Amino acid sequence: MPTGISGITPTLIRQKIKQRRRRKAEIRNMVHQENGIRQYAVIFLPYLWMLLFFLLPFLIIFKISFSVTEIAIPPYSPLVSFVDGAMQILLHLENYTNIFTDEDGTYLRSYLKSVQVASFSTLFCLIIGYPIAWALATCKNTTRNVMFMLIIMPSWTSFVVRIYAWMTIMKKDGLINDILMALGIIDEPLHMLQTDFAVYVGIVYCYLPYMVLPLFAALMKVDYTLIEAAYDLGCRPIKTFFNSLIPQTKSGIVAGSMLVFIPALGEYVIPELLGGKDSILIGRILWQEFFNNRDWPLASAVAITMLAILAIPIVWFFNAQRKSRERV
Amino acid sequence: MTENTENTKQPLPQKQQHRPGELPGWKASPVSQNKKPILQIKGLTKQFGNFNAVDKVDLTVYEGEIFALLGSSGCGKSTLLRMLAGFEQPTYGKIILDGEDIVDDPPYRRNINMMFQSYALFPYMTVKQNIAFGLKQEHMPKAQIEERVQKMLKLVHMENYVDRKPHQLSGGQRQRVALARSLAKEPRLLLLDEPMGALDKKLREQMRLELVDIINSVGVTCLMVTHDQEEAMTMADRIAIMDRGEFVQVGGPREIYENPNCRFSAEFIGSVNLFDCTLVSSNTTQSIIKASDFHHPIELSHDLDLADGMPLSIAIRPEKIYISKERPAEETNWCEGDVENIAYLGDISIYYVKLTDGRIVSSTLPNVDRFKTGLPTWEDHVYLSWDPESCIALTI
Repeated sequence: MPTGISGITPTLIRQKIKQRRRRKAEIRNMVHQENGIRQYAVIFLPYLWMLLFFLLPFLIIFKISFSVTEIAIPPYSPLVSFVDGAMQILLHLENYTNIFTDEDGTYLRSYLKSVQVASFSTLFCLIIGYPIAWALATCKNTTRNVMFMLIIMPSWTSFVVRIYAWMTIMKKDGLINDILMALGIIDEPLHMLQTDFAVYVGIVYCYLPYMVLPLFAALMKVDYTLIEAAYDLGCRPIKTFFNSLIPQTKSGIVAGSMLVFIPALGEYVIPELLGGKDSILIGRILWQEFFNNRDWPLASAVAITMLAILAIPIVWFFNAQRKSRERV
Repeated sequence: MTENTENTKQPLPQKQQHRPGELPGWKASPVSQNKKPILQIKGLTKQFGNFNAVDKVDLTVYEGEIFALLGSSGCGKSTLLRMLAGFEQPTYGKIILDGEDIVDDPPYRRNINMMFQSYALFPYMTVKQNIAFGLKQEHMPKAQIEERVQKMLKLVHMENYVDRKPHQLSGGQRQRVALARSLAKEPRLLLLDEPMGALDKKLREQMRLELVDIINSVGVTCLMVTHDQEEAMTMADRIAIMDRGEFVQVGGPREIYENPNCRFSAEFIGSVNLFDCTLVSSNTTQSIIKASDFHHPIELSHDLDLADGMPLSIAIRPEKIYISKERPAEETNWCEGDVENIAYLGDISIYYVKLTDGRIVSSTLPNVDRFKTGLPTWEDHVYLSWDPESCIALTI
């Protein structure tokens, strides 16, 4: 039996190694179990929150959308009823068919209009927000703080108050008309309120920060040597912007666009206060069906359809996110 | 693909371009070879506030040479490179490429391409798209782009990785793609920013000669920036040592190592023992110099253009100092001390010898014999001697 220095034999070493392996495995298991419990504990509360205040109301609305109106409290027919000891589940699909086969196409038109308004608002936010985010990302730290304050401070006052402020700015004898007339640029006041223009102004104004912040985050991570590389290889500035900067900030563009598009699609307050009679957006339809017509089932169906429309960009968004994660 | 396969797959680097009988590291001056100057820099200065990052630099780079800017961080070498690429606007000075002043041209109009330290490959493009990027900007016909890309891929041995994205490549492979991309446009001048900075040591040594090979086979003129002296010595035809925005010395690797022109370049390249001395006497055949650290005088076999009694420095490289336990017979060019420490590096051992006045002198001893005994060891009293030609007299 070969004996090593100070009596350390190969068998002893082997035993020691085995011991150490066992101890390491034990520790690993412990850590895993503890982590497991803690992980669930951390996730549980937000899950519960989403379950109670998002999924449950959604399911209720989904249920209502399959019933018909009744003069009762609540004002819709029950889904499940017992007739002669038999359980009946009545799924009325006419709410959905109504939406698509409505004679004057009010619903479809308002959907299209909403998608149009939300899309253009998102585009305007992107065009206005990108330079702002760029300025934020490239300026000095002290200037950046001031700029951040300027972007965030308006949201310290109520959303509705700010929209009312825009009403006074854009009305016939409002700030803009007064100034333009005083300067002699126009002779009679411009009609701005109750137009699509006013709706766009309101939406872009309100949702701009939601576009700027993700863009800023993306721009902070930009590898500027890639821009230099593009220049170096003969790419002109405007092309470099599309070739190098846009691909690098894609995640920010997508996130910002989602944050603007999704709430803008169902926007109710801004078109109601700033929009004209003809700018019937889906948010308004929802309101009318729920509160003026008290047709809860139809209103629910309208809401569910809107959600389905929103699902398309959301799924796209998650796909884009997954792809960008895979790349890293 | 791992680095291992890369090592086995690569052919051995070809022999460097050389002439018979040429000393390693010695390069004929480009002027004597009648080479055409391609890049001329005149009085180039870049100020950041009151600080001169690059201070009135003059430089001529000749056709086909590899020129290295060597310096520690903050010496202005990167700023100089960025001014050549066009990313920094010089405060004043001229950059003349092929006889044309390009100082006001934006980077995308300069016939200069750069390989970035981080490689700066576009992560959202494949290897092929990366290489083709610069060519597309020139609106080159598609077939021609395809042809050029294939040529470049072959040049850097990356034909099998055409459709990979940069994150699917190893560090060495990324460097090859970056090199191919910067060579694809066939620039007049290729800039390399710390070309080996992102590679590990083993790969670095292998890539050095291969990179030189590729550059020579294309025949492109190349200006590189590095802080690694080995890299500069193995790759470059000429080296400029930079300090505080100025060139300290410009010359071939051997010239810079064996004939440093000042204390800074002597100390910057390799290691050196510097002695403060005074000139005792000097005539056409010999100069006698008294060192303040040891008793015996230093004798040089040539004249010094200096008045007697003037201070100067004598620099001696450690590998040119012989270490022995026996007292030399001569009266000059040696000193004595005790071995203070020995660093065993495998191929050589560095002896740190403490002279009687406390000064430490280093001397290297190649480990030629595996089991040689009788070598000086700790606390031995040893004698250090050197040849008169090994001494470099420096006045600044």
